[in-house]
Amino acid sequence: MALGIVKISWRNLWRNPRGTLLTALALGLGLALLLISLGLLDGGHEQTIANGVRLGPGHVVVQAKGYQNTSSDDLLLPAGVVSAIEQFLESRSIKQMVQGVSPRILATGLLTSSADSAGVRIMGVVPESEEAVSLIPHRIVAGSYLSADRPSGVVIGADLASKLALKTGSKVVLMTQSLGPRAPAEKDAGKDEMQSTLLRVSGIFRTGLPVIDTSTIQLPLPAAQTLLGVTGNQVTQVALLLRKEGDSSKVAGALLKQLSGTPVEVLTWRQSLPMLAQILGLDHAFNYVMNTVILAMVGLGILNTILMRVLERRYEFGVCKALGVRPRQLALMVVGESLALTALSLVLGLAAGLSVQHYFATAGLDLRWVFTAGLPPALVFDPILYSRLSLNRIAWSVSIVFMMATSISFYPAFKAARTDLPDSLKVL
Amino acid sequence: MTDWAVDLKGVQKTYRNGPIEVPALRGVSLRIAAGEFTAAAGPSGSGKTTLLNVIGGLDRADAGEIWVAGQNLQLLSSGELAALRLQRIGFVFQTYNLLPVLTALENAEFTLLLQGMGAHERKQKVEKLFLEIGLAGLKDRRPAQLSGGQQQRVAVARAMVTEPALVLADEPTANLDSASAIALLDVMEHLNRTTGTTFIFSTHDPQVMERAHRLIRLRDGQIVNDETRSRQGTAVA
Repeated sequence: MALGIVKISWRNLWRNPRGTLLTALALGLGLALLLISLGLLDGGHEQTIANGVRLGPGHVVVQAKGYQNTSSDDLLLPAGVVSAIEQFLESRSIKQMVQGVSPRILATGLLTSSADSAGVRIMGVVPESEEAVSLIPHRIVAGSYLSADRPSGVVIGADLASKLALKTGSKVVLMTQSLGPRAPAEKDAGKDEMQSTLLRVSGIFRTGLPVIDTSTIQLPLPAAQTLLGVTGNQVTQVALLLRKEGDSSKVAGALLKQLSGTPVEVLTWRQSLPMLAQILGLDHAFNYVMNTVILAMVGLGILNTILMRVLERRYEFGVCKALGVRPRQLALMVVGESLALTALSLVLGLAAGLSVQHYFATAGLDLRWVFTAGLPPALVFDPILYSRLSLNRIAWSVSIVFMMATSISFYPAFKAARTDLPDSLKVL
Repeated sequence: MTDWAVDLKGVQKTYRNGPIEVPALRGVSLRIAAGEFTAAAGPSGSGKTTLLNVIGGLDRADAGEIWVAGQNLQLLSSGELAALRLQRIGFVFQTYNLLPVLTALENAEFTLLLQGMGAHERKQKVEKLFLEIGLAGLKDRRPAQLSGGQQQRVAVARAMVTEPALVLADEPTANLDSASAIALLDVMEHLNRTTGTTFIFSTHDPQVMERAHRLIRLRDGQIVNDETRSRQGTAVA
């Protein structure tokens, strides 16, 4: 019986092939748009997160407890934590997830050139480690990045270089407050005392983020530690860049467990970059609203089509009822038609949506035309969006469209089931 | 409980449209024996179709008793009426009303499908019937590929294939040319004779009236004449 109903439903679908195809295309287009928009959204977010964490504290950051809220230069990781982290990261399961680890010391200071001076954010880094984690080493627009053979080298943001009239090879003086005794021999040079050092600009970078390009400088970690009077290889934070953003919580949880008992905080990028997380969350919400509107419009169109199909077959349903078809069987016939239509639409939608998605995933969606005044040499938000669509997203989209189309068919099915006898049999 | 195929006692039916009341049946009492080939004739609005509708359980009477195949239809639920129609009553409509998406064979087996009969048995039954009523070569055609007469014969096959006790045909020849109407009447009379199924028609068609073995004339919702004839159409009472 059920097979017979399915056969009738399928054939009913093709009574008006043009109408069926147009409806299937409309629903398929809804699914395709959903897949494309979700792909670009996820791809865009992935790129934004990747850039955000590489210009910030990585996917996971370990720092002294309280640093996230206070940004106090005094809060340094206890001695031994860095080596404990490095030891922990050697475990095979974690190592596979981690792309790079960079210990950093962070402080504020004053950078002075022969032309001017400016407040700066000091980052003492291990050059080869920082290269694996941060974007800054890869955004050098003049000169070269830090290296071990230039212990007094410094790289600075392009806007800062412009303000201080600096170019590669220029000499600068960096002044900051000491965070502790510099060395046992210099007991009198204690905490909070001003310290300065002469550095030479080895490179200029441009990230596209004014807050970085106007105020950030990087210098070798030993030079920064010496300047700040820090002993025992202490650092402010250890930034971890992971291969997959999705592993952030897992790695953070494992690290937190490993470092339990030490006064540290282990944060995922969502905690260390809450603004970015909120912006992406808002973008997600807006996208959901837009997709709901698109699907609602498509759904109303389909409801109208199926309802019209049912209403124009009132006489036929009356005949079926007269022959002994039960109301639930009539409803099943209409739902079956809708399911067949939905299946066809899903095939069309998946074919179209995944094709376009694949194109955007490989060639990307070029948005450079948006920047009419010329594209900055570096951007936090990449101007070429690459689509990324997970299997979960596809399954979710298909489920949503399927459920929508199925639930939409209930009302026409109800109307069909309620066909009146003998009124529906009256010949007009 | 009666032995009659159809037994109506004082059946009344009034249609209401707001304040307007249109009486369609005014106390109709009628007995039709099993195997009769009966026509209900009368002008438009005389109550022919309403009479068939209440006998077929498509509509409910306001008053009276309607016994069909031993069951009082007034006491049955909608579901029970649907089951009775499916098992015991066949319908032939004026405009054929085949499902356009099904072939002739699939249309004819539709009621068997609803009864839950297996595909092989359904096919066998329908093919046998098609052979009997001259549709053997047309089984794979869709309704749109059949003439009116052929479609109506498929409709008769659909009504008969479940071996019902009663077939109700509402103006079955109204849309047919004379030759097709005669051919259809031949088929129905043949099935009536060979299976013993009771046939009741509503009609304006003089040809149908001539071929009926019993002719009931209705006017304003009442039976004004009821005559039984010989098989050749001659009145015998």
